[in-house]
Amino acid sequence: MKKIGFFLGCNIPFNRPDVEYSARYLLNELGYEIVELEGATCCPAFGTMPSLDLVGWAAASAWNLTIAEEKGVDIVTGCGSCYGSLNEARHHMEKHPEVKEQVNKILSKVGKEYKGTVKVWNFINFLYEDVGLEKLKSKIKHNLNGLKCAVQTGCHNLWPSKAYPTNEDNTFFPTRLREICEAMGGVAPHYSTITDCCGMGALRSTASEKSLNLFKKKLDVIKEEIDPDITVMGCSSCLLQFDAGQALLVEQKKLNYKIPALHIVQLAAIAMGADPEKATVLASIPLNGVITKIKGGN
Amino acid sequence: MEEGGVNVIDLTQADESFVKELEALGADELRECIQCGKCGATCPMALAGLEFFIKRIVHAANLGLRDILLEDSSVWGCQSCNRCVEICPMDVKPYELIQAIRRAAMKVESCPANTYEGLRNLYRFGHAVYPKGYEERRKKAGLPEKPPTAISYDELRKKYQEILRNTILEEIAPFPLD
Ligand code: SF4
Ligand code: SF4
Ligand code: SF4
Ligand code: SF4
Repeated sequence: MKKIGFFLGCNIPFNRPDVEYSARYLLNELGYEIVELEGATCCPAFGTMPSLDLVGWAAASAWNLTIAEEKGVDIVTGCGSCYGSLNEARHHMEKHPEVKEQVNKILSKVGKEYKGTVKVWNFINFLYEDVGLEKLKSKIKHNLNGLKCAVQTGCHNLWPSKAYPTNEDNTFFPTRLREICEAMGGVAPHYSTITDCCGMGALRSTASEKSLNLFKKKLDVIKEEIDPDITVMGCSSCLLQFDAGQALLVEQKKLNYKIPALHIVQLAAIAMGADPEKATVLASIPLNGVITKIKGGN
Repeated sequence: MEEGGVNVIDLTQADESFVKELEALGADELRECIQCGKCGATCPMALAGLEFFIKRIVHAANLGLRDILLEDSSVWGCQSCNRCVEICPMDVKPYELIQAIRRAAMKVESCPANTYEGLRNLYRFGHAVYPKGYEERRKKAGLPEKPPTAISYDELRKKYQEILRNTILEEIAPFPLD
């Protein structure tokens, strides 16, 4: 049985544990043994250690990477920022041996050593490459039945491409998440603002209204160009914006429509037979229509 | 601190030593910038309407405009998305400049209050984001109340804290590291 270390981060286990439930269900269905990364921490988030200095950032990330190294597994994460922070730290240490050396000096105080042998996946690339679309297809119990999906890959899953071990052929024209949705029986057209930022993150904390306006611009384009049944995320932070952020826009009367939002692991888990209630229990935008459509597809 | 506070560039404020400080803090290709504007054209901060967006920040940094850069809040609105790094024809790595400015600002305690909140949470719990009521949410999703992260393992969390105490956080944190 193939093993994989599941890196939780913060937003998934604390804000959207239904995504954690779904990821666990999905990995089990796909035949992976989930290796718990006991004692893992925040990646760390870009506004924390990375904004203090490079060695501190790399040391904090290396703490997480060594947990996987010690267990001899690679890592998968559902959060784009975790994917970015861990991979960028790994990349900096690879490029600057003196940083790695300083990090190892710090780690040695708690009896650890960072070697640099771990690969960090996000779920998009993991499903696309490690699992593969054919295998994914073979595990589907409820075909998506033509469900129209607008995908949101998320910036951190794409850039800086030099830090990532695998990526889209053209990061400004991402297709992998679309192909995954289509492999499960959905329809996932391209749209003109597909790579635009959703505004969640530092922008949302620093300039909340501007962040939500930016997000609304993107949603309006999605609505106008493809009018999807659902939006599908490759990143848990994007999910917070597309779900709770969208609900906030509706509440503020700035939006007069609602499009349900799911993380790709939620959609895939449901397609593989997960209990839709548990898999989406914390969604703010109601999903009812979507689940009926998927269930009718078998 | 306010956003978009830079409309007039005052060259008498130019300070070469600040350019060097930023280079040392990670913006080592800063001087390669040709002000082509590609970074600004792809930056979500610009799209969202923050006035002091990345092209202007690179410009101000090259002039060494310390006060403007340390006081303006725009650098804290950066999404760390790395579009600018991807697209810059001169490999200036504008995002690494943003981090350098933040690093300089942290040293003189010129950052938004929520930055400290994230750092304090990171140190205390091992999680920058540590929202109340998560046990209830986890139960709803059929999961154990606590995830198997540092929050569940006191000994491991203490080791992580020891690592953080051996970083620059020890000098900078305006809260006790105990
Ligand atoms: S990026 Fe966000 S969710 Fe991921 S570990 Fe860091 S703070 Fe937590
Ligand atoms: S949450 Fe927004 S900023 Fe973060 S990856 Fe998603 S689109 Fe980019
Ligand atoms: S893209 Fe690069 S060269 Fe062009 S303005 Fe931005 S930093 Fe300067
Ligand atoms: S990393 Fe920051 S400065 Fe660069 S494009 Fe993204 S938001 Fe703009």
